[in-house]
Amino acid sequence: MTYIRAISEKIIYDAIIDAIGQIYCQSTPETITMINNALTIEEDDVAKDMLKAMLLNEELAAKEKLPICQDTGIVVVFADIGTAVKIENGSLYSIISQAVTDVWEKYYLRDSIALEPIRCFSSNPSKTKDTLQPVILHLSEIPGNKLELHISLKGGGAENCSTLKMFNPTATINEIEDFIVDTVVSSGGKPCPPVFVGIGIGGDFEQCAILAKRALMVPISPFEKKPEYKKMEERLLNQINQKGKGIQGFGGKTTALKVNILSEPCHIASLPVAINIDCHAHRCISITI
Amino acid sequence: MRIINIELPLKSEEIKMFTIRDKLLISGVLYTARDQAHLRLTQLIKEGKPLPFKLADSALFYCGPAPTPPGKVCGAIGPTTSARMDKYTPLLLENGLKVMIGKGERSRVVTEAIHKYNALYLICVGGISALLVQSIVSCETFCWKELAAEAIYRMEVKNFPCYVATI
Repeated sequence: MTYIRAISEKIIYDAIIDAIGQIYCQSTPETITMINNALTIEEDDVAKDMLKAMLLNEELAAKEKLPICQDTGIVVVFADIGTAVKIENGSLYSIISQAVTDVWEKYYLRDSIALEPIRCFSSNPSKTKDTLQPVILHLSEIPGNKLELHISLKGGGAENCSTLKMFNPTATINEIEDFIVDTVVSSGGKPCPPVFVGIGIGGDFEQCAILAKRALMVPISPFEKKPEYKKMEERLLNQINQKGKGIQGFGGKTTALKVNILSEPCHIASLPVAINIDCHAHRCISITI
Repeated sequence: MRIINIELPLKSEEIKMFTIRDKLLISGVLYTARDQAHLRLTQLIKEGKPLPFKLADSALFYCGPAPTPPGKVCGAIGPTTSARMDKYTPLLLENGLKVMIGKGERSRVVTEAIHKYNALYLICVGGISALLVQSIVSCETFCWKELAAEAIYRMEVKNFPCYVATI
């Protein structure tokens, strides 16, 4: 017999305030380790100077509770809801949106949302919200009585370098890899490298984009995957870094810190591939309630 | 890597001294401008109206600051992607703009215009706000406050770290 677990609005609200309070001023610990490793192998003096600045920034921001980047992003949440969970007093979207609105004020984060995407359609083109800040929420069900929230503050510069292509199902691995490498390398310094590369393969048009986003979240490799995909990730990371775009597109050994692929079944006529990029200010966290 | 201290406004002969990848520590006044401010500056020029500040006297910083917390000089700052400003840049260069600070590559058209007008494009590391605010002496909304983060802010900076990208 399954017992329904009620989770109150307040518990979720407080957990989100706390989670965003942790990440706006610090990249994930794994990111900081990876930047340190990039510094160790780097030989270019400008690239080293930039990597040192990133590490110093991480220290300062965490100590003084300052945002690591002025683009505090759009909030993206993957919510995995246990089938035995009932959320009391409000929808998950409204709870998250309220918490985000309040945490934004609390820590002086930047309003980076255009309520009307086509600005000239609005009499107030710089309006960022009505009363609550819009967020992006992806819901899915999981067994059990827990609520898992994977939260990310996603900057616009790296997001703009993301892309999606509907390949033919007979496309070769080389063609797919070339597309991914070209996308990251041709982005140059725009997405603030060293970057994270999230890849979605399969599903349909929107699912492969959602997979690519999810592939950027922590824990960064939570899903079982075939060894073929792991090898593909390694090849892609090597190919991208061999091109030498480097730190901020200014040269160096590390352009990407990590490539992560997630895949799903797709239509026999299709082979969708999506690439979502995140900057070195990699702000995400997973919490379980 | 050469490290050079410079004061704004720059003289034309100073710009010629720099080489690509030099690190510059800038002191002087920057005006922030992102997409919406570029749109407005361009409209003013096309209508033959005066600009809110003299382009030649400062540097444009492609930046939208976060709100200033109480007791702080400014909120989080840092460069946004310069390429989005490419379509407006040649006209601004033609009207006296000398120094731009942002991140990422510029288009071929902008690169050629930078050469033509003896201007300077600098990049500043993105995603290092807590470090960059240490170089800010003052920051205030200068005009078009209704644009919020996209308004023009006047920033006085001291030893603000940048690298020469296009010259």
